[in-house]
Amino acid sequence: MRRKTSALFLVVLLASSLSCAPSHANRIVVGSKNFTESFILGELIAQQIEARTGLKVERRFYLAGTYICQQAILAGRIDVYPEYTGTALTTILKQKASADKTEVYQTVKTGYESRFGLTLGPAFGFNDTFAMEIRGEEARRLNVHTLSEAAKFAPKWHAGFGYEFMERPDGYNGMVATYGLHFQDQPRIMDLGLLARALKDHQIDFAGGNATDGLIPATDLFVLEDDKHYFPPYEAVPVIRQQTAQQHPEVAQALAALENEISDSEMQQMNYAVDGQHRDTEEVVREFLKRKKLVP
Amino acid sequence: MNVIHFMLRNHTQVLELSLEHLWLVGLSTAFAILIGVPLGIVIAHRPRFNKPVLAGANIIQTIPSLALFGFLLPVPWLGSRSDRLAILALTLYALLPIIRNTYTGICGVDSAVIEAARGMGLTESQMLFQVELPLAASVILSGVRIAVVISVGLATIAAAIGAGGLGEFIFRGLAMVDDRVILAGAIPAAVLALAADVGVGVIERRLRPR
Amino acid sequence: MPAASEAPVIEFRDVSYTVSGTQVIANLNLRVDRGETLVLLGRSGSGKTTTLKLINRLVSPTSGQVLVNGNPTAQGDVIQLRRGIGYVIQEVGLFPHFTVERNVAIVPKIEGWTSERIQPRVQELLKLVGLPAELASRYPHQLSGGQRQRVGFARALAADPEILLMDEPFGALDPLTRDELQREFLALQQRLNKTVVFVTHDLREALRLGSRIALMEAGKLVTVLTPHEFLKSTDRWAAAYVKAFGDGLEAAANRGTS
Repeated sequence: MRRKTSALFLVVLLASSLSCAPSHANRIVVGSKNFTESFILGELIAQQIEARTGLKVERRFYLAGTYICQQAILAGRIDVYPEYTGTALTTILKQKASADKTEVYQTVKTGYESRFGLTLGPAFGFNDTFAMEIRGEEARRLNVHTLSEAAKFAPKWHAGFGYEFMERPDGYNGMVATYGLHFQDQPRIMDLGLLARALKDHQIDFAGGNATDGLIPATDLFVLEDDKHYFPPYEAVPVIRQQTAQQHPEVAQALAALENEISDSEMQQMNYAVDGQHRDTEEVVREFLKRKKLVP
Repeated sequence: MNVIHFMLRNHTQVLELSLEHLWLVGLSTAFAILIGVPLGIVIAHRPRFNKPVLAGANIIQTIPSLALFGFLLPVPWLGSRSDRLAILALTLYALLPIIRNTYTGICGVDSAVIEAARGMGLTESQMLFQVELPLAASVILSGVRIAVVISVGLATIAAAIGAGGLGEFIFRGLAMVDDRVILAGAIPAAVLALAADVGVGVIERRLRPR
Repeated sequence: MPAASEAPVIEFRDVSYTVSGTQVIANLNLRVDRGETLVLLGRSGSGKTTTLKLINRLVSPTSGQVLVNGNPTAQGDVIQLRRGIGYVIQEVGLFPHFTVERNVAIVPKIEGWTSERIQPRVQELLKLVGLPAELASRYPHQLSGGQRQRVGFARALAADPEILLMDEPFGALDPLTRDELQREFLALQQRLNKTVVFVTHDLREALRLGSRIALMEAGKLVTVLTPHEFLKSTDRWAAAYVKAFGDGLEAAANRGTS
């Protein structure tokens, strides 16, 4: 008899661990990637849903990258997270980018809906495209404003980029090919957060940052114009599971209310508040939503 | 706020990630048992297969887990969902202890008992289910215990490829440079491993033949 | 004694058994008649245990035929063959995870007896082998060596087989217990009249228990004699055995004759 009860107990144990399959009833789980702008947007989505619907929101931030967020939302571990249309197009759907932002948005939306059971909410309003930055003083001294003009000076410069930019199909290789850029040596790969300081300290002369970097105005960096329109648009959008959107239409509505509410400079300011002024993300977002009268 | 307060404040997420972790470990262990125990029985009865099978399982074990995850990522059906991939990888790592212990357990059954049973006219399946498996149960279970403890640890790495689980806290904490978050993942994982070790160990002892 | 014209229960016809190049049994011709206790006597390596195992097909002959009740063992269902033969070995081989009762009831159970039929049968058998009824719920590790072998015996008799194969069943027991069990075996044989093939290397035991003794040496059958004939035999192997075992053999032979 002891044997039978022991065996039964084991089976129960195994069965109960099997029933822990991921699922959550009346909660919305919001994800984000692991850089400042992403979790500001994530917090924004979370607070917006909390304020406008009665639903409980779980935050699952700091997911280490696009692939991990994609996996999490496919598996249903998160319901919504902020993504960029350009990123979605090239790294997830693996298609070629175009310069037209509406076209990119539509392609991503239909692609996600047909392939992944995911959909996009309307864009938040800003375009966080890649920003090729040089020191402000350098820009003024050399009178250079566009990437085409910069090609002349590139051989004298050291460049620095983030890891993803180096690896992505819409990143480094395409850019140097399009503009004929030849730097003095192999670019340095560094953490995005360290690029601005490295530029300021003359460790590098050309950095691949993001258009809405908080530190751009603060440290007098100049963003070179993408005159050949190499970089695709990177509109920030919420990606939602279609299942969640259907079960909770109020969530889709809450997100729709954020359409076009964040301009490039507003995003930049929020980024600076967190990165430069070291303020609490939650507070910064709360302030923003209040100021824009998006929440009661 | 120390780590205990942090875990209490975020108890929903700690619980959710723990359950995800258990799901990864539970499902892969179940698969490993379903595949490994029959395989162990086969090689115990037909010793000419035992070298290749045990060698095969051994080789899998020597592949570093993160590398195995990396190998499997480009595979079409698997790589598209990292939790599937993680479960496959965890199953593979659990195979060796389970196959090996099943083999040892069954080979270790007293040969006099086997001879008497065969001489009495028990069929092969009666021998297996009434004699060999019950007598080998304790040893087999010890293999399961080892597999579970290994899986709990490996499953933390699975978060690196987006499979969820307690490893997510650990990686998040590393990125945020926040000890409390790291520990919020590491402590429950350690507790889970210990609990499995002790729990299965208790059952193992009760099943030991006298 | 059965009439010579009655068919043997067990028969070996020109049986040879070779394994890994060694010939373990060579040209064995032997018959075992109903109700007799045939002892296979020989030293280690003589092939006596292998001969026993050829009967319940734990081992298969390389050439020749083994017949049980006229049917070649090579044909027919080996499982049914074995269930009709009681098998007792020196180490006993009781299932350590079964109670005494469950151990004894194994063959009846797998033969589909109902528990109403099994229960009283187990009690009857325990009594038959001289074990107290309370032992039924104990486990083998709680029993003495002698008690375990009695259970082994009860287990072999459970489904009432007509044939019993016994491979040095008392070899691992102390002399007193051995003597006791031999006596009880004789008494039981008187009552039950099974056809028994009994392996031993002990001449005293062979003389005491056997109706005939088949002496084997190096895989060959040397001679088959009754206990009294054996003592007076001039065959060199038989004589060597008698000499090696010293005195008091007459007494043993006297207790064993039918």
